[in-house]
Amino acid sequence: MPKLSLFTKCVILFAAVWLFLEFFIGGVWSVPLPASVIGMYLGLILVAILVHVSVEDDRFREFLRPIKETLADDKRRTRCTVLFVLVPLVMLVFTFSKVSTKAEAPASVRIAHPAPPDELTYGDKVIGPIQEVENPFRHLEKDDKDAFRAHAENGRRVYYQNCFYCHGDDLDGEGHFAHGLNPLPANFQDPGIIPNFQESFFFWRISKGGPGLPPSATPWDSAMPVWEDYLTEEEIWDVIIFLSEYTGYKPRTFGEAAH
Amino acid sequence: MNRLFAKKSFIIHIASFLLLPAIITCPLFAQGKSAPAASEAGNLLYIDKCGHCHGIEGAGDGDAAENLLPRPRDFTSGLYKIRSTESGNLPTDQDLFEVISNGMPGSSMPAWKGLLSEDERWSLVAQIKTYFDGFEEASRRVIDLSGKIPYSEESVAKGKTFYAELGCVECHGVLGRGDGTSAPDLTDESGFRSWPANMEHSWNFRGGSATEEIFKRFIGGIAGSPMPAFVSSFRLGLTDAESARIIALEDQDEMTEEEEAEYTQLEEKAYEYEDIMLRIEEGEEITHEEQNKLDEAMKPIFEKSWHLANYVKSLGREGRPPAAVGDKVLRSQYFVGDLPGLNDAAWSEIKEASYFPLVGQVVIEPRQFNPSIDSVTAKSYYNDNEAAFLFEWDDRTKTLPQADDETGETVEDAIAIQFPVKVPKSPSDPKPYFIWGGRRPVYLWHWKVSEPNKITEMNAKGIDKATVQASQSQMQVEGVYEDGRYRLWVKRALKTDDRNDLKFEPETFIPIAFSAWDGANGDVKTKRAISTWYSFVLDPVPSNKRFVYPPVVALISAGLLFGLRKSVRNREKLNQ
Repeated sequence: MPKLSLFTKCVILFAAVWLFLEFFIGGVWSVPLPASVIGMYLGLILVAILVHVSVEDDRFREFLRPIKETLADDKRRTRCTVLFVLVPLVMLVFTFSKVSTKAEAPASVRIAHPAPPDELTYGDKVIGPIQEVENPFRHLEKDDKDAFRAHAENGRRVYYQNCFYCHGDDLDGEGHFAHGLNPLPANFQDPGIIPNFQESFFFWRISKGGPGLPPSATPWDSAMPVWEDYLTEEEIWDVIIFLSEYTGYKPRTFGEAAH
Repeated sequence: MNRLFAKKSFIIHIASFLLLPAIITCPLFAQGKSAPAASEAGNLLYIDKCGHCHGIEGAGDGDAAENLLPRPRDFTSGLYKIRSTESGNLPTDQDLFEVISNGMPGSSMPAWKGLLSEDERWSLVAQIKTYFDGFEEASRRVIDLSGKIPYSEESVAKGKTFYAELGCVECHGVLGRGDGTSAPDLTDESGFRSWPANMEHSWNFRGGSATEEIFKRFIGGIAGSPMPAFVSSFRLGLTDAESARIIALEDQDEMTEEEEAEYTQLEEKAYEYEDIMLRIEEGEEITHEEQNKLDEAMKPIFEKSWHLANYVKSLGREGRPPAAVGDKVLRSQYFVGDLPGLNDAAWSEIKEASYFPLVGQVVIEPRQFNPSIDSVTAKSYYNDNEAAFLFEWDDRTKTLPQADDETGETVEDAIAIQFPVKVPKSPSDPKPYFIWGGRRPVYLWHWKVSEPNKITEMNAKGIDKATVQASQSQMQVEGVYEDGRYRLWVKRALKTDDRNDLKFEPETFIPIAFSAWDGANGDVKTKRAISTWYSFVLDPVPSNKRFVYPPVVALISAGLLFGLRKSVRNREKLNQ
């Protein structure tokens, strides 16, 4: 086997890194990387290669040798011709594909779980600081199991009379209206939802709905109704109890760090 | 023959209809897995997962039932829509299992496959069966699918003729969009509105859109809905025309003498078959010959049903189209010359219209929980001065202004196409609230069926805060209703003088959204079907740059290579 030239080795290394990023991570692991990230890694590799080959004069000469040979040595005529055909051709195809693709609609950028306001309100009524307000019926879980169950059952009624169209029968965000909405309705079966927020946060999101969101959360796109117009305070606390009872996920309590 | 006898024979017919399916196929008994015995675990699971709609006693009266259409099944009625069994039969356990697993598309019944284990779903089958006594004794006859006629152009053509002959048109309409003349008046067994299926939207077929499933609905009917079992349209031993005639005669209150004579004659012709059926019903043995005779008489009915199933299959498309996002956004294409009118062939050159799903407006009271318009599609062209749009949406009824039965409000079919007044400059730039704006206003094109050639330009700052613009742009509009579909053609100048109008500029992505009202569904004001924001763009004017830039780049790269080669050679020479 002929010994590979330094130049060929560098080309192989560069190609291998690119193939790995594009097709192994993107394809086999199916985590497609944005072109900018791939570009960044490839840039780093290129710099590393150039540093490596240029630290010693001999090595640099060795690196450049095949390039010089191809271009100047008459014995390498064929190789030279191939290069002269291939490079312009690749550039032709690449430019054509860039010029003919149509612009894509801009993606909507939004914060899914924006920071709540300081104060929790229901209509105009101030309930208290959002970082302190507890579900007034949560204590029944310990103190009066039957009463707690009654609140959960009432929450179930509220849910299936109002919420399941979008959030789904199984609270998985796949209600029969979900296909027509963007952003998609919250999936309460997602372990990242209920355990990460306090009940007062849910009260805020339910009572104020989409229109109550800050601009960073694109309130103009959310189809979440302003539920304080329809539900009583107690019904909202009850449905929050139902969400956690049905899914088995406990909302965060105060003093507990976010997961 | 006197009237009394005619009545008696009517009763015999009814009885024989119930029996008829038994003879259609030599009894094939229920196949597939059977449910286990009902258990307490199944009952608890039922209460947790099903009770909120179907009621904890199975009577279809759960908390959510009130706002749903179709209503959740009342399991105490013993009527089941999706069955593999013949008319008048209960479903097999496997049928119930399939419906629980796959859900009922187009209704609020979700697919429980993936949410519940197989054992759990079987325990629900067992639980559901406890609500109706009939499950205990009844043996169920499964529809014979062995005579399937494969899909072919020829079969579809045959099915199409049967579709017209058999009266499917009455409910499902000429092109199958559910827009038949009786469509607005149909109700289910409990008196709730029942819309005929739109065959083109086959992704909404409750039992799925496989040809076999469609065939089963013909033979078995959709119990509890106005969809009859197909066999009831036929009388064995008679031709199609004779069958239709005898059924028509029976439906009359009085018969003239001539008609009675005709009736008797037909009656006698069919008697032989009725006699055989009666004897089967009474448990008598029939001869092999007689059985063959019946099978022979039933064959054409099954054949017709297969052809018809193939025809219905040909009308639907596979699955709900993808929504107009990403590369499916509404792209207005540059058109050289005058823009095409409503019926111009140029519209069909845009192969795939952009699809905008609609859902009920359930945010602001009064709400619409059961929208009857499920999507709008759109195509668009533009030239240097104007843009033309073709909006289409299916509506089973053309409703001119009329008082709504329930609310007394004047309802009519209408649509509103919504744009922002100010186009957001970046993805994080605010848009108006998707339901007719709020603090940021929207610009609306409001069209209604009573003025089909006019669009009213409006601005809105909220669903109930819309104002008609003082100065209306010159817009050309043509709206028509044909075979269950509205087609609305709109042409407007790209730029108008009014600063509350939107200006259309090439390569700018413009948010677009829709509201649609179906008067026959009680839609008025806030009660309507709506879409969320989508995007619309005037595609760049096709230029030659894609034929110019690539060769230039190629030439430049070749030139650079030559330059490099030259400099390397020169250097080598110097070194020597």
